[in-house]
Amino acid sequence: MIGNDIVDIQLAHIQSNWQRRGWMQKIYTPKEQNLILKSTNPEREVWILWTMKEATYKAHQRRFGLQPKYNPKSFECDTIQKRVIIDDFEYEINTSITNEYIYSVAFLSNINYTSEVFTGKYEAKKRVKELLNHKSVKALQIHMDKDTNGIPILKNNHTKIDIPFSLTHHGKFSAFAILQ
Amino acid sequence: MTQEELLSKLKTIITPYVQNEKALGELNEETDFIKDLEINSANLVDVALDVEDEFDIEIDNEAMEKMLTVGASVSIIEQKLAEK
Repeated sequence: MIGNDIVDIQLAHIQSNWQRRGWMQKIYTPKEQNLILKSTNPEREVWILWTMKEATYKAHQRRFGLQPKYNPKSFECDTIQKRVIIDDFEYEINTSITNEYIYSVAFLSNINYTSEVFTGKYEAKKRVKELLNHKSVKALQIHMDKDTNGIPILKNNHTKIDIPFSLTHHGKFSAFAILQ
Repeated sequence: MTQEELLSKLKTIITPYVQNEKALGELNEETDFIKDLEINSANLVDVALDVEDEFDIEIDNEAMEKMLTVGASVSIIEQKLAEK
């Protein structure tokens, strides 16, 4: 299973005030709050941890078909081991950081995935559709659909099996991650 | 406080975070903050904090978990007000 999440740093700076009283305490565990406050770039740390939690939430929710829930604090980030723990489950994380965005992918260990970040809100989705239309892929009869929660999914028409896949967009950026 | 008053206060709280103005005009119990109103998920924390300030109640993690729709938020606010 896979999940991804991107944050446009410039937009996040406008949309959220991480220093607002009570804000951090609602999202981050005491250990994570400590990590943020000790960081040389606290705002960047806020969004690194946020994308780790969101990407894991998506992977976990899809893996078990869970109802939507807003519980960011239940996802405990370990930035050294690059993983997130939720209940008794563990996900590995890859985070890419540029001056403009922070992007995390959460996945189960020992899987391979393809992921790409684009400039443009709808670019990632467009690119996935292009890939599906490619001759070699078309033969596999894979199409994009939506699940009951309105989340885009990839379905193999032939085997009727879902292909783990995740889309994200924020501000100027979008990204996809697909299990190989 | 009537449910109508409560709903109107909630609407005022969420308005600054809404990115789909059209859905705001069609607000009902089923309205989903993220899917329908396109509120950025990080801003749901701000909604919870604003609700705390406006109604002078505490939104603990257990309550915040459910605050994804208008209807669920109204029930939580009513419950917390009753506990005061």
